[in-house]
Amino acid sequence: MKTKSLLSSISGVSFAAMLMFSALPITPVSAADLNALVWCDHSDPNLLKPFEDANGIKVNVKEFEGTGAGLALVDQSKPGDWDVMVIDSIDIHRGVEKKLFEPLPEDKLPMADLFPEVKMDSSTVIDGMRYGITEKFGYNTIGFNKTKVDPADMNSFAALTSDKYKGRIAIYDYYLPVIGMAAMSIGKKTSELTEADLPAIKEVLAKMKANAKAVTDVASSQTALATGEADILVGGGEWVTAGIAKDKPELDFSIPKEGAVLWSQSLAMFKDSANKEMALKFIQYVMSPEGQARLATSSCYWGMPSNTKAALNDDQKKILRFAEQPDFLKRAQAYPAPNEALDKKMQDLWTEMIQAK
Amino acid sequence: MILPQNRVAWASVSPALGWTLAFFVLPFAAMAAISFYPQDGSGPSLLSYAQFFNSPSYYYALFNSLEVTGLVTVISILLAYPFALILADVVPERWQRLALTLAVLPFWTSYVVRSYSWLLVLSENGLVNATMVKFGILSAPIQLANTRGATIIGFVHFFVMLLTLTIYANLKQLSPNYRKAAADLGAGPIRSFIHVVLPLTLPGIMVGAFLTFVLAIGDYITPQILGGNNELLMPQLIMMQIGRRGDFSSASALSIILMLVVTVAYLFCARWLKIERT
Amino acid sequence: MMLRFASTIYAAFIYGFIFLPVFVLVLFSFQASLFPIPPFNGPSLRWYAAVLADKRLIAGLGNTIVVALSTSAMATLIGFLSAWGFARFHLPKSALMRGLITAPLTISYLIIGMGLLVFFNRIGIPKSLLAVGIGHVVINMPLCFAIIYSQMGDHQANMERAARDLGAPEWKVLSLITAPLLWPAIFASFFLSMTFSWDEFVISFLLTRFDTTLPVEIWNLLRAGLNPKTNAVGSLVFGVSVLMAILFEVFALRKRPA
Repeated sequence: MKTKSLLSSISGVSFAAMLMFSALPITPVSAADLNALVWCDHSDPNLLKPFEDANGIKVNVKEFEGTGAGLALVDQSKPGDWDVMVIDSIDIHRGVEKKLFEPLPEDKLPMADLFPEVKMDSSTVIDGMRYGITEKFGYNTIGFNKTKVDPADMNSFAALTSDKYKGRIAIYDYYLPVIGMAAMSIGKKTSELTEADLPAIKEVLAKMKANAKAVTDVASSQTALATGEADILVGGGEWVTAGIAKDKPELDFSIPKEGAVLWSQSLAMFKDSANKEMALKFIQYVMSPEGQARLATSSCYWGMPSNTKAALNDDQKKILRFAEQPDFLKRAQAYPAPNEALDKKMQDLWTEMIQAK
Repeated sequence: MILPQNRVAWASVSPALGWTLAFFVLPFAAMAAISFYPQDGSGPSLLSYAQFFNSPSYYYALFNSLEVTGLVTVISILLAYPFALILADVVPERWQRLALTLAVLPFWTSYVVRSYSWLLVLSENGLVNATMVKFGILSAPIQLANTRGATIIGFVHFFVMLLTLTIYANLKQLSPNYRKAAADLGAGPIRSFIHVVLPLTLPGIMVGAFLTFVLAIGDYITPQILGGNNELLMPQLIMMQIGRRGDFSSASALSIILMLVVTVAYLFCARWLKIERT
Repeated sequence: MMLRFASTIYAAFIYGFIFLPVFVLVLFSFQASLFPIPPFNGPSLRWYAAVLADKRLIAGLGNTIVVALSTSAMATLIGFLSAWGFARFHLPKSALMRGLITAPLTISYLIIGMGLLVFFNRIGIPKSLLAVGIGHVVINMPLCFAIIYSQMGDHQANMERAARDLGAPEWKVLSLITAPLLWPAIFASFFLSMTFSWDEFVISFLLTRFDTTLPVEIWNLLRAGLNPKTNAVGSLVFGVSVLMAILFEVFALRKRPA
């Protein structure tokens, strides 16, 4: 009796093994879904759910950080796997060169409502065709705790390399904006960087690193500032302070006299998308005043909506410093946009900075 | 009693062999192949390896990994051995199982979450700093999180448990007669420990040490969460190659270098790691 | 007496060290405010509610359970078959083949995951839970093989021969004699595989796209900011795991007729 029940349980297990294993889904996505390659702010159900409900569709999102990572994910996929992508505005050309993107119909998008400075036509329009539309922007600059540092010092990048704040700094772990800030601190333009500028930039980075406690990704940057682990975040901005402003009102950011690096994310549509109509609908939704407000205040990080008509309330506008944008935009410079060879050199520079003892 | 080979024999071993060939050996071969084709499309070359040996920021990652893993292994053994000894010798027999279960209990929380919890404990306003400041041991909080020390603490936490288990199992297998014999021959408890118990538990220590080495040197999560990116270890450098650039060639080359290091460790420990039938 | 006292102190220290992060994790899962750091201002269940309302986390939990059960069953099954084959039959190059089967034990999960990523990418198997399942069998099967193989003794071989002499076909010998005799080892293999699969991160991270396992979802959550929700989901996973461990203890320790 004993052995019999054991026998049946063993054959049961084997059978279940085969059955369940063969049932493991290999292609989890149905063609009716919208597949989006996004930054973490797009995973917020508050943003996605209204669109999903209105269109009776499921939006599958895969998060990545940095264009290189995103394009690598596309490389590992089959054509048609993706419908829309969030990408740094200045990197749209990289997708276009790989023949990934589909031109967007300007007449179906609220082009006239965008902040003019963030339309960035030189990056988003290629050969006369629009391949991306800026959906959200902000600044990589100095994020800090007002109660722990002298706000007057935060008016210059020099504070980041001086001894005064040694051991109280964290550096945001993304090479492009921080290299841009380092370049601006020694009077170089982010748009004109060449390999010859790298040694001088390396020196600035080395000084920042010597002052720094940690090099932190999006989440740990917020954590570091919020928990008092660091008082200053190099590369910080509204994206790290605004979302937690209610709980941590002492956190702030400055646009110092040298200016700031403007980050700008765009939406693009894939040429091989099997669902272009829905992809366009999604882009239209994100660019609508309601979509813009939800995206701007998404749970992962806040940022400025690119649509001036975004349906934000006054509190939210104040936290994002909506009214000051014209001045900020005037003084900001775009992300460095290196070619592939310079990009590799910059990444190696970054690795060297992290490994520096 | 061993039967001659027949069809049943081959049928029983072929699923495992086939699986290993198809999903372990072949992928490895694919990885090895791609490591010779650099990302820039320049054709077969050793560029991906040259990058490692020529740039200090790359090979320091290996040095860092070896230092951290070595420290973790030694500290974990030193902490775990007395603990295993206490569990095996001091704790009454009927409570031992419970004591062991308790020691293993915290490891049932998710491994990703465990490192995150240490971040909470060690942060500037975390429990350790807050307590030490409160009792006047520290005048101001010190940096514990986001350091190599934090990475090591996170690792040691896990491997103390693992080593306690392997050493405890080893201790329990020792016949008490050995120690009785040593005592009968006039050895005190310390001499009997050094000359009898310690050598006999060496296999348990080595198995645990090897497991610690392999698991720690290949772990991405712990240094990524606790190390604060103040330095890179090999797994972080490897993930960086795929995550930032999609550079499979470099990532493969680095993986192979890491694997060679583990192989050397394996050969060093091989005589303790034989799987024997009872 | 001194020794007993010192032992107690030392054991208390180790237990304290081991439990400290779990204590902090669980405590701050009941935090009422936005950050899981002192001062504690709970208790509140808001973060548990947030976890239960998070569809991605719940889906991740389901995926993890399916992957863990199916890969453990598969790994135990083929691990058992091969252990039996190698223990009972004289096969040419047996040591070499056994070495091959156990080789993945000495390789980091990261490298196994990398290899599968490169390989699947090359032959066109998309990122999916199936890909993760294949990877989990690669890491768990050697373990099952090693555990079961180490328990194969002459004792069972003699009983197998007796059964054969009485005319039982091979599959009956295997399932009616060998497997029941090795039941503890088989069960331990299955349970250990479950444990490893349940908690495995890097292979799942590399080989999935949308549908993924709970550890990867937790990682995503963690990357979205310091959040008591992470504490809450961690505490829930902890609770479920402890429950499973207790069930295992009860089941495995249940007195069986000899």
